[in-house]
Amino acid sequence: MSKSNQEISRETFDHLVELAALELGQEESEYLHTQLNNQLSAVHVLETIDIADDVPPASHGVPYTAQNSPELRKDEWDACPNSDAILEQAPVVDDGYIIVPDIPHTTLE
Amino acid sequence: MAEYEAVIGLETHIQLNTHSKIFCSCKADSWEDPANTNICPVCTGLPGVLPVLNERVVEKAILLAEAMHAQVQPISYFDRKNYFYPDLPKGYQISQFDQPIAVGGQIDLPIPETADPDGKGYVRSVRIHKLHIEEDAGKTKNARNQRLVDFNRCGVPLVEMVTEPDLRTADEAAQYLIRLRQLLRWLGISEADMEKGNLRCDGNVSIRLKGSNVLNQKTEIKNVNSIDSLRDAIRKEIDRQIREVEKGNEIHPWTLDWDEDTGELRKMRSKETEADYRYFREPDLLPLRVSSDWKKEILKDFPERPLDRRQRFADQYDLPMYDADILTLERGLADYFEETVTAYKGDPKKVSNWLMNDVLRMINDDHLEPLEMRLTPVFLSEILQLVDSATINITTGKNLLEIVQDTGKAPAQIVDEQELAQVTDDVQIREMCLKIIAANPEEADDFRGGKESLIGWFVGQVMRESRGKADAKMAKDVLFELLKK
Amino acid sequence: MQLCDLSAVEIRDKILSKKTSAVEVLESCLERINQVDGCPGSIDSRPETKEDAEKVHAFITLTEDSAREQAQSVDKMIADGDDPGPLAGIPATIKDVFCVKGTPSTIGSRILANFISPYTATPVERMRLAGAVLLGKVNLDEFTYGSSTESSAFQPSTRNPWDTSRVPGGSSGGSTASVAAGEAPLSLGTDTAGSIRQPAAFCGVVGLKPTYGRVSRYGLIAFGSSLDCPGPMARNAKDTALLLRTIAGPDKRDATGANLPVPDYLALLEKEIKGKRIGLSPDYFQITFPNLETSEYIQQPVPAEIMDATMKAAEIYRQLGAEIIEDVPMPNTRYGIPVYFVISRVEAASNLHRFDGVKYGHRTENEISDLRSLYRRSRGEGFGLQPKLRILMGMYVSAAQYSEQYYRRALQARTLIRRDFEQAFDPNGKYKLDALLTPTTPTTAFPMKDVYGDSVIMQYADQLTVPANHAGVPGISFPGGLDSNGLPIGVQLLGPDFSEGLLLQLTHAYEKATEDANWRLERPAVLREA
Repeated sequence: MSKSNQEISRETFDHLVELAALELGQEESEYLHTQLNNQLSAVHVLETIDIADDVPPASHGVPYTAQNSPELRKDEWDACPNSDAILEQAPVVDDGYIIVPDIPHTTLE
Repeated sequence: MAEYEAVIGLETHIQLNTHSKIFCSCKADSWEDPANTNICPVCTGLPGVLPVLNERVVEKAILLAEAMHAQVQPISYFDRKNYFYPDLPKGYQISQFDQPIAVGGQIDLPIPETADPDGKGYVRSVRIHKLHIEEDAGKTKNARNQRLVDFNRCGVPLVEMVTEPDLRTADEAAQYLIRLRQLLRWLGISEADMEKGNLRCDGNVSIRLKGSNVLNQKTEIKNVNSIDSLRDAIRKEIDRQIREVEKGNEIHPWTLDWDEDTGELRKMRSKETEADYRYFREPDLLPLRVSSDWKKEILKDFPERPLDRRQRFADQYDLPMYDADILTLERGLADYFEETVTAYKGDPKKVSNWLMNDVLRMINDDHLEPLEMRLTPVFLSEILQLVDSATINITTGKNLLEIVQDTGKAPAQIVDEQELAQVTDDVQIREMCLKIIAANPEEADDFRGGKESLIGWFVGQVMRESRGKADAKMAKDVLFELLKK
Repeated sequence: MQLCDLSAVEIRDKILSKKTSAVEVLESCLERINQVDGCPGSIDSRPETKEDAEKVHAFITLTEDSAREQAQSVDKMIADGDDPGPLAGIPATIKDVFCVKGTPSTIGSRILANFISPYTATPVERMRLAGAVLLGKVNLDEFTYGSSTESSAFQPSTRNPWDTSRVPGGSSGGSTASVAAGEAPLSLGTDTAGSIRQPAAFCGVVGLKPTYGRVSRYGLIAFGSSLDCPGPMARNAKDTALLLRTIAGPDKRDATGANLPVPDYLALLEKEIKGKRIGLSPDYFQITFPNLETSEYIQQPVPAEIMDATMKAAEIYRQLGAEIIEDVPMPNTRYGIPVYFVISRVEAASNLHRFDGVKYGHRTENEISDLRSLYRRSRGEGFGLQPKLRILMGMYVSAAQYSEQYYRRALQARTLIRRDFEQAFDPNGKYKLDALLTPTTPTTAFPMKDVYGDSVIMQYADQLTVPANHAGVPGISFPGGLDSNGLPIGVQLLGPDFSEGLLLQLTHAYEKATEDANWRLERPAVLREA
């Protein structure tokens, strides 16, 4: 495998996995690491394109003009008819609160 | 010990008092509501939902930007700030990053004598770095080793306003918040109640040798929910940093949590490990365009800023700065004052005195909106004129304030109906004086025996006899004349 | 021919004229589903049987009861003399990327397997209000991340009705398979890189990716928010036009929806083709992909059978009076996939942040004492490989230190891709095209498991479709013949912003011109003995 296929080291990969809040099995982890590097090497072709500095980045393809842009929302209160159904989807609820484990405190130094 | 100065920058989060949330139609204010009752698919980040921007949020942000002399940008962008936290249901906050709605700006803070070590008072100019629009997160609280999550606050509109590091003392920081709170209420864009979290403040603090221009490592103070706490927290942090530096220690870029109960700062997490938020443009929202027409419309009735008005009151009405300051604490009061002055046409200082001594007490005691009082500026000016023309005396005038407020009747009508007009008829007063002297021979003798201080007592008796209506000065003159005979 | 094999328009007209009823049509579709679909996709794994290998498996959730209620209500309205709407009694399937109130809305993932949506997506709501009978939710690649539907956590995944040993394409594989197999004449899907057009090509149906903003995204579980487009799939242009007209138009819940009126696409269908300028671009007749061993790029021409189908379509348009403009340069086409690797991943990683085991969906059943572990476990267990891969890629290329190198550059390259289209379609430019005619895919349907697992090669299946997503322009894929294996070949038309009407018109004209072609007599394998 070529060198550019190893852009993301094991350490960087593990750090990414931590940032992404993903717990991975060993096999899964190896597959993803390889695929990630493969995808990145496919991306490198972008570096070969001659792009002038003044080419603007496109967040959307279709340009929005004053004519085709939707209006902003009017400031009107309209209560959700079934907020209970939202809470019903939560795995753990107590007295209207969604419950999650505590966030450990950093001890004072 | 070397002489240090502090370098302080403040980041304020201002909840706007719109009807609905920033990106959905839930109501913005759910202060008293049970947990998770003011929620919808959008603000709880259900799969598939999209944000739609509330136009009033933009309008209120522009009002604040204008008040801060900031430059409103014709085009600004929303970005996603990505991080995991249970109060952030989408896993990202919709905010503005590199191209916010307004940049720059300045406020000239009058620092009062009491906050000046030299006791003179001065002005501190604070530059504004930027203002941006974003959504508030929900709330979490700890109970029994668990964390309880409430999404009611998710999506309440916020403006984050960031100053340059231009403040130098804890007192200046407090003044900034005081003036900001005044301004927010003045513009009617936020309730600005710190206890309710409408106005929240983080402080960045570093120290340096006085006269130096360097910016040293700073710490960030979070979770301060009152002006006194901010002053307190910054003072403590400045002292701590000085102690550390004096000991030869380094200042670390810590985030410090203010504990309201103990009045102490606690270390939160190290800044070096701070998450990379991986900002990128929010694809679900279009660039925010503020046309010059829209901006003009928003600023059509833009009010005179409170500090400008304070200065003008001092200049134009020749008021002491103390009076001007109090009269401009609140926009309704300032309007009330000016309307009264206009109607009255007399000495503005006299209006100021009546307002500050009497009317303000009524306003504060009963939580009144000045311009909605039944004691209108026109009625107040009438009372002043009645006193000036000696139709009534000052005591009657002051009593009239409450009566007009209670009844809503015109002062002149009340004076008529209740026969409150001052007794200035020489004959009438002479009669009353004779009667009082006759009824109190011992006191009259004492007076004549040299105890002239009793004159005040005699005047009081006449006032009582006249039910407060007698012209006190005339009564005094007549009493002297009669007693000296 | 059974009721379920009729077109949507025919079904509706028969129902409205009381020649049949919505309930009868529904029963016909249910019977077809019963015949060909086999067991629905499920997260409870079980060994695949021989029978499984011969079925379509389009569905995840069949909502038979509510469909029957909807059909009965349409029949009642007709009996009462009320107007049940333009989709009166037409059965339709919904790709399980859309939230539908009270219905499992799974996105083909374990992490949402138990999620019952409290609200309904705008396009689905519009279909319901128009009188459509919603049969249920059909399978897709997990989170739409794929081109074969194989990555769904709900197995068995959908198979191609033309050859059940092959994939239906993806990610809207359940949609196109259900339409091809006559389970429903209409399906609603989404297209982020080709997810409507590529499976439409593989399954021999019509699939239209509207202009970005033409159809509301509200309620569509987001992948690449700046690329995602809901769109219709059907067995012909007319039905596609009918469904598009129903779902298109501004929505107060989508701030990126275009605030433009929706034309009557059906009325446009019969308009004259004469004088239309249709372009061909050499850049769409080859694919370019990296050799991972050498990191070199390989260029390969599109297979001859697919090229022939495309050129035949051009010839038909020429005969209908259109002008064919050759050699239109679309030089940035080859960057479509690399750009997509960056942009879609950045957006996807962020869009997937919300799945954390706190508010809905899968939460680990392990005893967890701290929050971070809850996140890691729940996400680790709930997401399959493809979402995990996209999250990691997206996080890498949007990290502060790499964002300029990758993300910003990709957005600039996106501008270049857009400019290719602007120049081709510029009414004052050199080419003045009304549409660009291209193959839809570089291959016909490939065998199951052939490509799955190689995330790079899988992605290159979208090479000819993804530029339209970057540019936001509309595209349609329609059947243009069969290859030597008897598999459908898709032909694609791309047009300027909001030119869906013209694309449908051109497709309709092609259909009429080829209605007697031999290949049109062929039916999908699963229907042959039926």
